[in-house]
Amino acid sequence: MDFFEQQDIARRRTGRLVVLMGLAVVAIMVLVYLVVATAVVSVTHYQSATATRGQVATDGVQVNFFEPHLLIFVGVGTVVLVLCGSLYKMATLRGGGRVIAESLGGRLIDTGSADATERKVLNVVEEMSIASGTPVPPVYLLEKEAGINAFAAGYTPSDAVIGVTRGCAELLSRDELQGVVAHEFSHILNGDMRLSIRLIGVIHGILVIGLLGGTLLRSVFYANIGRRRSSKEGGGTIAIIGVGIALMIIGYVGVFFGQLIKASVSRHREYLADAAAVQFTRLPEGITGALKKIGGYSFKSKIISPNAEEASHMFFGEGISHLLGPMMATHPPLAERIQRIEPGWDGNFPHLEPTKKTKQKTARKHSQLSRTPAAASGMVEVAAISAISGVGQPTPAHVDYASKLVAQLPEVVRNAAHEAYGARSLIYALLLDGDKQVRKRQYGQLREHADPQVYSLTQDLAPVVDALDHKARLPVIDMAIAALRELSPKQYAAFKQNVRHLIAADEKVDLFEWVLGRIIAHHLEPQFGPVTRHRAKYYSLKTLARPCSVLLSVLAYAGHRQHDQVEQAFALGARPLELSNVALQPLSSCSLQALDKALDTLAEAGPRQKRTILTACAHCIAADRKVTVNESELLRGIADTLECPMPPLLPGQPLV
Amino acid sequence: MDGLISVIVVCGIVLILVIIVVRMYNRLVQYRNRFKNAFAQIDVQLKRRYDLIPNLVETAKSYMSHERETLEAVIQARNQAQQSEQAAAANPDDANAIKQLIGAEGVLSGAMGKMFALMENYPDLKANQNMMQLSEELTSTENKVAFARQAFNDSVTAYNTYRESFPSNILSGMFNFKESQLFEIEDADQREAPKVSFS
Repeated sequence: MDFFEQQDIARRRTGRLVVLMGLAVVAIMVLVYLVVATAVVSVTHYQSATATRGQVATDGVQVNFFEPHLLIFVGVGTVVLVLCGSLYKMATLRGGGRVIAESLGGRLIDTGSADATERKVLNVVEEMSIASGTPVPPVYLLEKEAGINAFAAGYTPSDAVIGVTRGCAELLSRDELQGVVAHEFSHILNGDMRLSIRLIGVIHGILVIGLLGGTLLRSVFYANIGRRRSSKEGGGTIAIIGVGIALMIIGYVGVFFGQLIKASVSRHREYLADAAAVQFTRLPEGITGALKKIGGYSFKSKIISPNAEEASHMFFGEGISHLLGPMMATHPPLAERIQRIEPGWDGNFPHLEPTKKTKQKTARKHSQLSRTPAAASGMVEVAAISAISGVGQPTPAHVDYASKLVAQLPEVVRNAAHEAYGARSLIYALLLDGDKQVRKRQYGQLREHADPQVYSLTQDLAPVVDALDHKARLPVIDMAIAALRELSPKQYAAFKQNVRHLIAADEKVDLFEWVLGRIIAHHLEPQFGPVTRHRAKYYSLKTLARPCSVLLSVLAYAGHRQHDQVEQAFALGARPLELSNVALQPLSSCSLQALDKALDTLAEAGPRQKRTILTACAHCIAADRKVTVNESELLRGIADTLECPMPPLLPGQPLV
Repeated sequence: MDGLISVIVVCGIVLILVIIVVRMYNRLVQYRNRFKNAFAQIDVQLKRRYDLIPNLVETAKSYMSHERETLEAVIQARNQAQQSEQAAAANPDDANAIKQLIGAEGVLSGAMGKMFALMENYPDLKANQNMMQLSEELTSTENKVAFARQAFNDSVTAYNTYRESFPSNILSGMFNFKESQLFEIEDADQREAPKVSFS
């Protein structure tokens, strides 16, 4: 199953959840109505009984369970309450992974940290991001948590964060940590976080009903402290108490079933993520080693933060214990998870005490030995998989490639990418044009608008960056984005302005530089302000003929000089779209603004449609049978802005 | 019926109020976390600087044997600053810890300035390859500190502004969200990083 199918399934599952939620709300509405109607009927009955005591006729009172006004009132009230509760919760969680990580007591690890343990975690995360073609996420350390656990949170890969507990950072070997991080990356890449945020939202909406019941009870209680209740109001009070209790029961029973569903969905995703972790690293010992350590460790994977309950399903291991055990557990039992990856396991958990540095070292040496052949065989296999099918599915060969690539980077570049100060200069240096005249103009811009030190640092970095292998450019950007997130809003505004100037400096269509600028904006904007998210809404390519034409035309013009070559490239690219109304656009209508607009529209296509679009781009680029590094990186850049993380291309790997 | 409606309306209003208060509280915590995290950036660079200074002094020692006192003052100021830095890193929201760090940094900058001024008298030292490299690195680290300080101050300002504005100031008083200290170099003549020039 590939990335696009996974996304599609996730989307359909979400659709089903929305339907289920609708049904649940209707059921709750009916229940609430019945409760309120019973209360109203009994009160009127009671009141009329007291009022008419001693009189003959009581036939003026009608006992009627169906009251249209009441039904509308209760119905609208319930729907509004549940919706408000859900939307409120989703809105807070949508603030991105940072909010969740901070609510769990996480401290952001500075990207330039020199601490050995922190560095290890950062490096593992960095390798995994480069291998999967996503920007490096911020990493949080839960310092107060001694248990071995980790989590991924956030709405999209752009605002995702990874969190690890102190126990996890200190007690796991590098390979085990890699397994855990790969597991979390699978959650990020498969959009599990989006699904879980919606689930939390729904459950919270139902919880609001229960909370309302509780508030009702309390208000009656406090109201009665102040005054003696008269017998006339007695009936009303009893009814309100009854309604309060009933609402509480409905709310909490609803939450209970909601939690059951959440837990079962979550358990399913955990198995998938475990399998993905093995697939990404081809190192079953990594993830099973981590799971075994959890089993044999006195703190297990416990999370003590009071906000852990809500985020329980985002964790690597079971964070909190449940009264009902396996039914409410968000994670499958440890033994079963291990056995699925390592069928011959003897069932013994190694005993583990907090902080045993020597043990780690030996474990690491051992697993490094067993790793080399696996990575080598991965390389051969990968060569046969096309770049498009590899989207969202990094392989061990990619991880290997990533760690080698980072190691081979010049030290100045690596250091600059690791802190916010140098990262700006690094991005500026990457945007410098090859043409001397243009570069002069760009330097002029920087001298005027950037800090003097940044200007001189950019000049220092420029020759190193020029000599950089073009394949390393996107990974370097992915690394720098993590550091750039630490800019203050003011600093970011200045940075954005400069990037725009640098890109605008060359008036010709230099696609690659333009894509760099787009990637930076795409991943950094959400950090510094609200952005309009691209929601999938085009599930057919028919309505997308125009933006597709623009995109393919630009690609055809960019890669080919003669007009007949351009036409041929466009025709090859257009074939997979199976649309009759795509046509090569005249060069004049292929401005960068038009391309921007086209890509914004295409970002709203469904996952399957995106796959077709990317395939079309790849065919167009490969039309002349030569795929330069720049061209393949251009394809990766386009895929990235369409939110399809494409792992780096390995030698010999075909585009399509 | 009327009683029930009014109770539900009251409950609704209470619920909305509770939501607003919870949101405001979370915002305050968020702003505080932001600037605490921003301090980590300064911290990394300060540590780097404290690591560089002893090397620099060690190199200078062999040339400037007559300026023992100045060099010792630098080392002492560096140790003092390092202590304040550790205290501040543990509690970046403690205004006093930050103030102390600002003070210690001021003393260190002064001592370093003096050392660099004296160095002008030792052309051999200035030409020393190792010295040149260390000075270059020190300058770049100081630039980074200045930059990180800017980011930290921006986020502290955002926090302080939100803390003081109505109605969140009611909450910040109730839950003890204290005003935080900007990281500013105190003296106007110390505002500039110590000059490292080999012209």
